[in-house]
Parts: sequence; structure tokens; C-alpha cells
Amino acid sequence: MLETLGNLGLGFSVALSPSILLYAFLGCLVGTLVGVLPGVGPLAGISLLLPATFGLDATRAIVMLAGIYYGAMYGGSTTSILMRIPGEAASVMTCIDGYAMARQGRGGAALAIAAVGSYVAGTVSVVGLMLLAPPLATFALRFGPPEYVALLLLGLFVLAYMSSGSMLKSLAMAAFGLLLGMVGIDQMSGYFRFAYGVVELGDGLGVVPVAVGLFGVAEILSTAGQGTPPQVVKPRLRELLPSRTEWRESAAPIGRGTVLGFLIGILPGSAHIISSFVSYAVEKRLSRHPERFGHGAVAGVAGPESANNSATSGAMVPMLALGVPSGPIPAVMLAAMMVHGVSPGPLLIQQQPALFWGFVASMYVGNVVLLILNLPLVGLFVNILRVPYPYLYPAILVFSMLGVYAVNGSVVDVWIMLIMGVLGWVLRKLDFETAPVVLGLVLAPMIELSLRQSLAMSDGHYGIFVQRPIAAALLGVALLLVILNLLAFVRRRLDWRARLALAEKGEETS
Amino acid sequence: MRARRPLVLALALAVLLPGVAPAQEAYPSRPITIVAPFPPGGVADLTARPVAASMEKVLKNPVAVVNKTGAAGAVGMQFVATSKPDGYTLLLALSSISIIPEADRIFDRQPAYTVDQFAPIALISADPTILVVRAESPWKTAREFIEDAKKRPGQISYSSSGIYGTLHMAMELLSHAAGIKLRHVPHAGAGPALTAILGGHVDALASGPAVVLPQIKAGKLRALAGWGDTRVAALPEVPTFKELGHPEAEFYIWAGLFAPRGTPEPVLARLREATRAAVGEPEFKAAMDKLETPIAFKQGDEFQRFFDADAKRLAAGVRKVGRVEEKK
Repeated sequence: MLETLGNLGLGFSVALSPSILLYAFLGCLVGTLVGVLPGVGPLAGISLLLPATFGLDATRAIVMLAGIYYGAMYGGSTTSILMRIPGEAASVMTCIDGYAMARQGRGGAALAIAAVGSYVAGTVSVVGLMLLAPPLATFALRFGPPEYVALLLLGLFVLAYMSSGSMLKSLAMAAFGLLLGMVGIDQMSGYFRFAYGVVELGDGLGVVPVAVGLFGVAEILSTAGQGTPPQVVKPRLRELLPSRTEWRESAAPIGRGTVLGFLIGILPGSAHIISSFVSYAVEKRLSRHPERFGHGAVAGVAGPESANNSATSGAMVPMLALGVPSGPIPAVMLAAMMVHGVSPGPLLIQQQPALFWGFVASMYVGNVVLLILNLPLVGLFVNILRVPYPYLYPAILVFSMLGVYAVNGSVVDVWIMLIMGVLGWVLRKLDFETAPVVLGLVLAPMIELSLRQSLAMSDGHYGIFVQRPIAAALLGVALLLVILNLLAFVRRRLDWRARLALAEKGEETS
Repeated sequence: MRARRPLVLALALAVLLPGVAPAQEAYPSRPITIVAPFPPGGVADLTARPVAASMEKVLKNPVAVVNKTGAAGAVGMQFVATSKPDGYTLLLALSSISIIPEADRIFDRQPAYTVDQFAPIALISADPTILVVRAESPWKTAREFIEDAKKRPGQISYSSSGIYGTLHMAMELLSHAAGIKLRHVPHAGAGPALTAILGGHVDALASGPAVVLPQIKAGKLRALAGWGDTRVAALPEVPTFKELGHPEAEFYIWAGLFAPRGTPEPVLARLREATRAAVGEPEFKAAMDKLETPIAFKQGDEFQRFFDADAKRLAAGVRKVGRVEEKK
């Protein structure tokens, strides 16, 4: 413990040196802007700016890249809340309740809660990173394909809590999302599936263009289709801050989101994307008022936003402790270290204490910087809502197209976004929710790949899922959930979801 | 008077040249783009950037790197293959350039591009892959590994960067050369493939040396043998498969610079000259040192021969793998 404190002292002496501080600030600022730009998420941001760090030394480069990473996670919530455009894939859930809050004039409150939640999550998870990195990283590596399958199947249960209306409709949407996830090169055989000769479709449909299309573009289209334009929400200054009740309602979700996000973030692979989905489901399950979700529940913003920020620190654990490129973003950061002659590996913490502890300390500093940067910006960003729709919406459309194009420099992605926009508009007209589509699209390729990898590992024997303790335990939990839900269904027939659907129908007919 | 002829000619040329030069010889007169068909941080990108920086100095003309990614590199390579052959759009390709068209052929697909759509400029680096296993695994030498694989066909598993990917092809060439059968577990990229062996989910991996060196030094992984013609400089005690009697197991992860076929010869000559000067720059050497990737410069006929031999070997490898489901 004493040693850790000493090391942290070393870290802060590095992190608080003016030049490092400057790059941490720059990273946070750039990250926030990257996150605010629709479609451009942390991966795209880091990738695009990686070459700019080649002139710096290793510590500065890594501090700045990390700043961009968690800055983008902060910034991602802004457009989700204000315009229903997910800034990056992990902000999809924030679009639902965050935007609903903004429509009720609580946009400022939602932004503030997202910022504070992100701050708490960021800071607490850095403590986790600092104290638990080596043992946790070794444990996380035991998460192989079979464990992933079990976790993702558990993730499918999230669906049950995602809809606020008809269960049948959201399952249909999820199935549609899973089908969309089938597009692209078959990772196991090399076949192109549903690519129709378009080379770009070989990589499948990107989550970002689909999410921006289904949420953002669809929102713009449906607003444009209304006979009378919706009232412009004019936020007043005293409404910017969350009320006492809102704070109270978001405290527990922030705590749970932090822990959940960190644990999911550690796992190698792209599990961090599902952290916000899982957090949303957990909050809805635990909430005393699940019916408020989808209509501006504070917990629906606080939980997922904390989870996705906490997951970023979690993802750093295997990277720093073991030199393992545990996901696309850590892989880019490892490359940045290699460019500077730092070979990332299990010996990094011993060989480069100034880099490791400086990095950890800079994450504390960076989170404070982001809070200071973001809270005043709430007032500024909320004013975007004052812009009349005829000017605002074309601008958003342009920025969405720019952002989606910039990620891969691919026109195909822009078309995907536009087609999904039209589709999303049709689905909204028919009263389908689109979040399950995105979840399906995220989960399908991951489940498929890890399922087939597991079977390749075991030479086709399904026994591999019960022979491995972690996988077996996770599958056991999943089975238990099914049984519990079935029991509840048999016993009560109508749970709150059905009651809610009935109530809504009643509203419509009356 | 006859002796004066050359002089007159020279004078005439000197008068004429300024008028002709801007149209023909003023290459380069605008920024050059090097397309890296893989995302930032990958081998192609990390090689392209110092190449671009040094060429910029040599040519005194801006050289930019653009990442055009997608479909395992096919998107970027197709882009360069079909760009205007004027020397302003170049490609930094890896070994996979000769694998993709062959895989397309196997599936009777319209190929995204063909290898002969490119004019090779220079080979920058060529790192042999090395065979690694976990430190606690029973195999101490490549011989033991191969012997065991012969006894238990299809039981020893390995991860790769993806089907028909470079790391997969290396293992296939070895399997064929040594007459063994291993179990292939494809992953989505070299990073996940490394994570899989470190986590104990597969038994072996063929990998570029730079990526696994820190893990070998930390005692997590053990190197058994290399696919190179000679031993890897950083691992002098690790033999090559050639030494062990499997000369067909030869494979390199290489990076080379290409222009679209049809680029005028003077432009190609200028580019060859510029690349030769660029790789000699101390900054370039320092950059490659940091990546622990030795420079293996080849150009002209020498590169063409290397490229042709490599393409032939890989094409044969892909054909041997064939369509995956046909084997079952």
C-alpha cells in the first residue's frame, strides 16, 4: 500500500509537470470534440490523431491518447442527449432517456448528470486500475471464446429490459439486428455473405453508421414530417442543474454503472460496447419505476454513461499490465508506445514506472479536467437547442455525414447511414423501437465468432461450454434467469411490461 | 565541324528542355499519397509513416499517408490498383497482397484486384514469422512440437489473424512442409490471436517477432523456430525451419512500396531512387529500430524476384487450404 502511494507520488510528479498537463488537457479537449461530432467515436478519434503524437515522447503521447479516449466517452453523451444522435456506439442507450429528458426541458440536467457520472466512474475505475491491474489482467485473460459465448448469451437477456412497449416488437427488432450482423466476410471460412460484390461490405455493417442512421437521421426525418414543427425548447439557467431528486435517483446507478463497466471493460475483446446496454438493463430491472424508462428516467442516463466511461479504464488493465492488445483501442495505444521504442509487455510496469504511474496519475488529472471542461459547456451546448429546426437539422445532417465518412473514408458507410435513416423513420411510424436493432447488430458478430471459435477449439464438441468453470457458471446464471422469468410469467401472466403496454393502449384509445 | 555536333545538340536541348520539362520531368510537383490499406497502428501504417517522412525530405515534396482500410486490406489495395498511374498514389502493401486475389479465385469471386495491377518499387522490410508456444507448454524445441503433432493429428491448436491471413498461411506452409495437421482457430486480427495464446485458449501461434519479443523476454512465451532464410537477429538461439529440414516452411511478413501498373518508367526510377535514399536516412533507421523491425531493402529485379517467389509460395499455400468446408 505504502509502495503504491510512493509510486503514485512519482506518478503525480510526472502528471503535474506543465508539459504533461498540457498534453492531458489537449487530449481531453480533442476527445470531447471528437465525441461530440456524431459518428466519430474514440477509436476513430485515436486512429486519426495517432500520427500527430509521433513527434512527442512516449509518456506525452500515451497521456494525450488516453485523454482523447475518455474525452470522447464524455463527449459522446452530448449529441445523444440533445439531438438523439449517438456520438459513438456506447452512447446508444443514452439517446433513449437522455433525449426524452431534453424534450422535457431537462437537457441540462441530463448533461450534468452524464458529466458527473462519467467523472465518478473515471476516477473510481482508475483506483481499480491502479490497485488491481496485474492480478485482474491475468484473470481476464482466462476469458476465452467459450466464456464469451456464455457472457453474450447473458447479454441477450438485456433485450428483455430494453423495450418499454411490446415485447414481441422488440424481439422482432432484435432478430432484425442479429440478421444485419450476418453481413460481411465469414471469419471462419472466408466467404463473403450478403456483400453483393461491394468490397466495403466485407467488413459488415458498422455499428456507427447504423446507429446514427436509425436514431439521428430517423429523428430528423420524423420531425420534418410533422405538420407543425415541435416547439423549440428554451432552456433557462436555473433548469440547467439537476434537481435534488434527480441527484438522489442517479447516485446508485452511477455506482453500479462504474463497477459493471470496469469489470466488463477488463475483458479482452470488444465487450466494452455492451457495458452501457447491460447497465441500462440492470437499472431498469432494479428500478422501482421501470415504466419511466424510455420516457426520461434519470437512471437511464446515469448508469450507462458511468458504465461506458468506467469501461475505458478497465480496457487499459490488460494493456498496461500484460501488454495485451485487448481491444481495438488498446491496440492503437500499444502501437503508439512501440513507435516510441517502449515495448509494451508484462514488464512494462517495472521497466517504465514513470510512464505507468504518470499515466495513472494523468487519468485522475484528466477526469478533473474533463469535469471542469464539461460542466460549463453544458450551458453552451444546451443553447444548441435554441437554434430553429430549419437551420439546426440540415447542419446536423451534414455533420453526421461528415463524421460517418471520416471514420473509414468510405462512401458506402454514408449510404448505410442514409438507408438506415429512412428505415428508422418507417419503423418509428410503425411504433417499433430501434435500440434492439443496434444491440442485435453489436452482439451477432461477437456471438457467432466466439461460438465458432469455441467449437473449433473443441473440435466440434459442445461440452467445452460446461467443462470450463467460468463459462459453466455464466451459463448457469443465464439458465436461472430464464427459469425465474418463466415462473414469473406463469404466476402473474401480466408483468409490468404488459400492464404498461395496456395502459398505453388505453391512453391512445381514450 | 563534326566534332561540334554534340555541342550543338546539347545547346539545342538546353534551349528546348525548359519548355518540355514541366510537362514531363517535374515529378513530383504536387503532394504524393501513400495508401496504407490497414488501420493506424498496424505494421503497414507504422512502416508507411517513417517511409513517407524520409521520402518527403529526399523528394522535397509533401508525402502523406492515408489509411484506406476494409476487407482485410482489399479496399485500399483495390483503390490504388485502379488509381491514375501518375506516381502520386502509391501503396504500402504487406504479404497479404498476393493472398487476397488467390482467395478470391478459390471462391470464384470477381477479384478485387490482381497482383499484376501493381508495379513494385521497393521492399522495405521482411520479417520472418516465428513459432511461439506458452512457456509452460511441454514443447521445448520445434522438433518436439512437430513430433507431438504427428502423434496427435488435429489436436494441437493455433490462433491466427484470420482465415487466409498472413499468420494462417505461415502455419499452413509449415503443416505442409512437416506433414502435420494442426487445429486452426481463426481470430479477428493479430492482437486477439496473441491474447488467445497468452490466455491459454490455443497452444501455438505464428507471429511477427516484434509483437512477441516482450512476451518472450518476460518469460510468458517460448520461441521454437523461425520461418526465415536466416535466424532472427533479436533471437539468435532460435533455429529456422530450414535448418531443421523443412525448407518449404519459408514465410515473411514483408512491407513493400508499389505504384499502379502503367506508371511511366522515369517516375518509377525517381521513386526507386528516392526510396533508396529514404531508407538510408538516420531518422528512418531509428524509427525502424524502435519497432524492432530490421530493414530489408530490395528493389528492381531483386524485389521482383522476391515478390514473384513469395506470391507463388502463397498462392500454392492458399490452394492447398482450399475452401474450408470442403475438407469436412
